[in-house]
Amino acid sequence: MTTTATASPEAKTTGQKIGALFLQYGMVWALILLVIVGSFVYPRLLTFINIRNFLGQSAPVGIVAVGMTFVMIGGGFDLSVGAIFALGAVVFASLADPLGLWVAGLVVFLAAAACGVVNGFIVTKLKVNPFVATLGTGSAFGGLAYIYSRSAPITPSDYAFQDLGTERWLGWPISVWIMVVVFLVGGFVLAKSVYGRSIYAIGGNNEAARLSGLRVDLLRGSTYVLSAMCSGLGGMILASRLAVGQADMGSTIALDAIAIVVIGGTSLLGGEGAIWRTAIGLLIIAILTNIFDSLAVSTNYQLVVKGTIVVAAVAWDVYARSLRT
Amino acid sequence: MPEGMASQTMGRPASPGGPLAIDARSVEKRFGGTLALTGVSVCAEVGSINALVGENGAGKSTFLGVIAGRVVPTTGSVSIFGNPLAFGNPRLSRQQGIAAIYQELTIVPALSAVANVFLGQTVSRAGLLSERGMCDRFLELSAQLKVSIPPGIEARHLSVADQQMLEIMRGIQSRARLILFDEPTTALAPPERESLFAIMRELRRGGTTMVIVSHNLDEVLDIADSVTVFRDGEVAHAAPRSEWTKRDLVRAMIGHDLVEPSSRTPFAGKAGAAPLLSATGVSLPGALEGIDIEVRPGEIVGIGGLVGSGRSSLLRALSGFEPKSTGTLAIDGEAVPWPKTPRMAILAGIALVPEDRKTQGLVLGMSAMANITMPNFGGVASLGVISDRRMASSARGVARDFGFDENRVGTTVRNLSGGNQQKVLLGRWRYSLPKVLLVDEPTRGIDVGAKEEILVTLRRLAAQGLGIIVVSSELEEVVQMGDRVLVLSEGRAVARLDAAHAPIKVKDILEAAFKVAKHDHDRDGLSRG
Repeated sequence: MTTTATASPEAKTTGQKIGALFLQYGMVWALILLVIVGSFVYPRLLTFINIRNFLGQSAPVGIVAVGMTFVMIGGGFDLSVGAIFALGAVVFASLADPLGLWVAGLVVFLAAAACGVVNGFIVTKLKVNPFVATLGTGSAFGGLAYIYSRSAPITPSDYAFQDLGTERWLGWPISVWIMVVVFLVGGFVLAKSVYGRSIYAIGGNNEAARLSGLRVDLLRGSTYVLSAMCSGLGGMILASRLAVGQADMGSTIALDAIAIVVIGGTSLLGGEGAIWRTAIGLLIIAILTNIFDSLAVSTNYQLVVKGTIVVAAVAWDVYARSLRT
Repeated sequence: MPEGMASQTMGRPASPGGPLAIDARSVEKRFGGTLALTGVSVCAEVGSINALVGENGAGKSTFLGVIAGRVVPTTGSVSIFGNPLAFGNPRLSRQQGIAAIYQELTIVPALSAVANVFLGQTVSRAGLLSERGMCDRFLELSAQLKVSIPPGIEARHLSVADQQMLEIMRGIQSRARLILFDEPTTALAPPERESLFAIMRELRRGGTTMVIVSHNLDEVLDIADSVTVFRDGEVAHAAPRSEWTKRDLVRAMIGHDLVEPSSRTPFAGKAGAAPLLSATGVSLPGALEGIDIEVRPGEIVGIGGLVGSGRSSLLRALSGFEPKSTGTLAIDGEAVPWPKTPRMAILAGIALVPEDRKTQGLVLGMSAMANITMPNFGGVASLGVISDRRMASSARGVARDFGFDENRVGTTVRNLSGGNQQKVLLGRWRYSLPKVLLVDEPTRGIDVGAKEEILVTLRRLAAQGLGIIVVSSELEEVVQMGDRVLVLSEGRAVARLDAAHAPIKVKDILEAAFKVAKHDHDRDGLSRG
């Protein structure tokens, strides 16, 4: 929920205020601490080139995380983002030469939206638990990506194919600009629009929202479409960045995106969270990865650390909730 | 008045003789920034029934939670039968001889009635479950409570009242020395309440100590040996039953005298007006059979009947919550399709204020103003963008009308008291006016002071030209509010009372409701009233 000014009648002591600030903005403090410690361990952390580098690297997964935030605040879960991500990459790469980049991009958006509609339909109309539903569709969409690409990397000959991932504008990669726009638009829609407030309502209490006359199935279903379209876009950017579309590209995307969202402090139970939190989560993961890479820590260790952080973040969320109620 | 129960020590720590059943001293409990209990000291003698009363949020349920081992106090000490209580460990509390019966049902729907009663404390012989032993004990308890629940039935098929009975059986089956009841009678009909009280008196004869939290003051004065009144997290006053009158209790609870409930405001609409809502042949398999109901503008129609009579089902069917229901519906004299979803009902002009505020009504994590404007966020937005300023000013208007502090519209609903939560829920339909408002148990779990305000609020909504249908277990409320009352029994309409012809009495409703219950087995011989 957006931070509402609570006009609580009883005055709080300074200690309680600090405690509440800590609970609510814990991850912001964690990020600041990480930056400070990280600057000692890796002095180049805050140089322009390094920031540009790690932001560019994390743009695809960051965009996926924005869509995931909508799904999770709406009380859902989407494990199929990795598969849709890969599908976006291979479709974009395969159609770039015959249809041109713009048409190829449009086809990716349509295909991703179709995947999202399937997810939304299964979750809201067939009432399959979102975890199981998207685990299943994720397998199916992933399979389609392999079938479509015949399990081979697709390399378009058009050099412009790489613009999306590597070209710069005003000194920053286009992919970073796109990510920033997605975050800003997503944050605005979620916090300020009728649609966004309705998503909070269905995630916070589906029955209450239904009784108020909200179109709960349509709203919930739409979050899966948004998530899928973000995944498709993320896939296109990565394919462009690497100049190749490959069906195995999205294998770690789902876990990473979920990690970013929950580390930011958006609740797994729905109804609470925010896009700025996802931005914090993204920075934490991106900087952590950047520091580990600079220290040449093997990705296997990084996986262990990331997994641990996700579980710890969720445990922290549960604990912080228990203090409030 | 119970005799021979010397419980003069309530509220006075330290007594001569044996250890006290409960000896709580200076118990304090803090939830986040709020103090739920501030230095509460309570004593209870062995073998007495002790009632805790107080307005919502006064701290009585929290205190009960401390004794039950569910809530860990911030400071303070509690001894049970002379031994220090293990805080925050329900299992150890159980081993100390404490059993708790909670207001929120803790029934496992997929387990049998027997299994629910013996949940967590199965009777076993040499490590094997003794189905036979449990079943025998179950039947023994059923006989004591005068209920007939088949032992093997899955709990999900039972009514709320029967589930509450299972909960009570679970509490007493373990032969605990100290039993805590948190509002055990809210879901029970009068005969069931009576058998519960009978068994409580029997347990007392056997030396069991009991603590009961209740909003029903008549009930408290009927059963308890001593009464402790909580107010704002403190013990306002504790005294033996003989020193209390109902008036004293109310005064102690709210800190001042209660204004006598205003007599029934008369029907505000035009007498001969065409009905706003007219539903005929409302049926729902297993719950409702061909009910006709009409509401005119400005009119409040009360639904009378016992638990399980189909009162709530009727409201749910009319508001699109029962897709399997059938019937014909006309709004403002025009036929509309039978609502199959809540949205269809709302578009037709019918809104429901559900019985369960927290799970069906409110989004607890959102602010009061967002909850109020939820049916139509678009009303405080332009081009799809919400204006917090317009949302707040709309909500403030509603708050002023409903006696809810307008400066608290930004407060997260979770942090509001039950009465204020209910005002927010009703305020939603003041913001977005339907034609007909269906209200299920508007005053459940709300303290005495706020109750009257809620009833006045409903009357005020009716004066706007709304038609209102109210369901309440408190038949006095149905009588106080209803311009007409429709009495249901076993899913059928059995009587229609009209205040315009003769004043409606609680007795009339009960008689109508019970007449049918007695002739349960010959359904065909009944005619609709």
